[in-house]
Amino acid sequence: MNKVGIPRGIFYYYYKDIWTNFFDALDVPYIISPKTNKKIMKLGVKHSNDEMCLSMKVYMGHLFYLKDKCDYLLVPRIDNFKCNNQTCTNFLALYDIVSNVVDNPILNYNIDLEKNKNLKKGLYDIGFKLGKSKKEIKKAYKYALKEYKDRRKAGIKKNIKNLESEKIKILIVSHPYNTYDEMIGADIIKYLESNDIKLIYSDKFSSKEVNKLSLKYSKDIYFKYNKDNIGALKYSEDKIDGVIFLSSFPCGPDSIANELVMRKINLPYLNLIVDDSSGFAGMETRLESFIDMLGERHE
Amino acid sequence: MKDCYLGVDIGSISTKGVIIDDNNNIIAEEYIWTEASPVEAVRKLVKILDEKLPSGYVVKGIGTTGSARKLIGLLLKANVVKNEITAHAIGTVTFYPDVRTILEIGGQDSKIILIKNGIITNYAMNTLCAAGTGAFLSSQAKRLGLDVKDFGEYALKSDNPVKIAARCTVFAESDLVHKAQAGYEKKDIIAGLCKSVVMNYLNNVGKGKKIVGPIIFQGGVSKNKGVIKYFEEILGQKVIVPENSHLMGAIGIAILARKNKTGHTYSLELEDTEFHTKGFECNRCANNCELLKIYRNNKIVDSWGSKCGKY
Repeated sequence: MNKVGIPRGIFYYYYKDIWTNFFDALDVPYIISPKTNKKIMKLGVKHSNDEMCLSMKVYMGHLFYLKDKCDYLLVPRIDNFKCNNQTCTNFLALYDIVSNVVDNPILNYNIDLEKNKNLKKGLYDIGFKLGKSKKEIKKAYKYALKEYKDRRKAGIKKNIKNLESEKIKILIVSHPYNTYDEMIGADIIKYLESNDIKLIYSDKFSSKEVNKLSLKYSKDIYFKYNKDNIGALKYSEDKIDGVIFLSSFPCGPDSIANELVMRKINLPYLNLIVDDSSGFAGMETRLESFIDMLGERHE
Repeated sequence: MKDCYLGVDIGSISTKGVIIDDNNNIIAEEYIWTEASPVEAVRKLVKILDEKLPSGYVVKGIGTTGSARKLIGLLLKANVVKNEITAHAIGTVTFYPDVRTILEIGGQDSKIILIKNGIITNYAMNTLCAAGTGAFLSSQAKRLGLDVKDFGEYALKSDNPVKIAARCTVFAESDLVHKAQAGYEKKDIIAGLCKSVVMNYLNNVGKGKKIVGPIIFQGGVSKNKGVIKYFEEILGQKVIVPENSHLMGAIGIAILARKNKTGHTYSLELEDTEFHTKGFECNRCANNCELLKIYRNNKIVDSWGSKCGKY
């Protein structure tokens, strides 16, 4: 059996649709770790260096959950998207960290557009490694990509449409692996939604469109995902009531990009930093008062 | 019979209570230590307030705020339970309608609230750490063998505050030990501590926000004259500390209780009310949520802590 293990962390939130569709089309069995829970979190904290960010610790937890349940582990390395669009060093480092702590063979590919290494080449390599023919892979890749693009487009469309809502609108400036993680962002999102807030997500914008908008805040930031995030903020600035910056402790790129933007925007904002020790009570006080304030301003 | 309203602000260090009438006049007030048992503190507080309350008044509304607001809200059957930022702002705006900035430093958190035309336009709270709050000052006071209440007086005597790292309590502490061992005078070290609280606050909470006057300074630390002095020095503006600055949250929530009154009459006699909580760990899934069940007169009234919402 060639069962592939997909840790539900970091990369998963960017590539899940492509990966699952690709493996489905190739008829390769795979297992995705469950939503983060306390057990996975504990596992992650135990196997991490104390200076890693919470999102990395969560990732390590998923990895250790999976390691005895699959043959291969899927861990890409993402370096850059050309034109001053670096990723966080953790995106580069994870493959090496993982290969040092587990014995499973790793399915790896590089995204390094400066050296002409892209997703297509990466997935083809993985297909070959799993013993599939070029024809099969070509078909699977085409299918996976189309599916992904359609879904992504629909998500962006819905997100942008929410900007026109009459309700109180808050932009969540955050990375998808934090926003949608069960132990990091989920409670915050749930709380806001139960208070009838329309949420707009910074990761659901077309990167092509918003990436260059980030230059209006700063020409010096070179982290791709942060540029996308603050570009999304620039895009929606006039249409939203407030911003919530959500990051995991201690995120390096966020601490530069978000802090910089906070000083430049003319909108109410809330800066939330999640650590594994945080109870929800302190979070709730901040969210409740933020919503109260926006409600007063909205009237 | 005249109507009155009770506001209770249960903070990490102290518990504050006021009773106001329809014109926002304070009829009774009390300030006691929480000592890590909010329920007992509130029982004591309410008993004192009940004794202080002149005859001829009936309580028509109860509001709770502060970090134990939810729990105490259940104990008192409050009609309003609100966070301390909203409560502080409403209390302050009632007495200072033209206020633009509220600085607040409490026992374990600190916040800044910006107001324009009586409406909150922005606010910030300290994020992860409690550096530069009351807890920091009182632990340093203990180290120096002083009562934290005397800190202000000491600081005012100094012309030459020592430089103490403003970023983190742990660094500040090692700085402090070093300076003390190097032979600096106590008053200069204390003045340095007060200054570092101000710097820390402006760096961590203020973060480049435009601080416009009138500025009101509240919370327990606002009783420290040294801190006030350095705020004024660094901001270059006058900082107003209201006489009842420590009660502002309680006053604000009492006003909210008045605005949201339902016509129900409340009793301040809590002696017959049996109130306890029971914590346990749920093992239904891998999250192992720590749950808390709250009983009032042996009847379960609420429970919280569950991620899935089953309880």
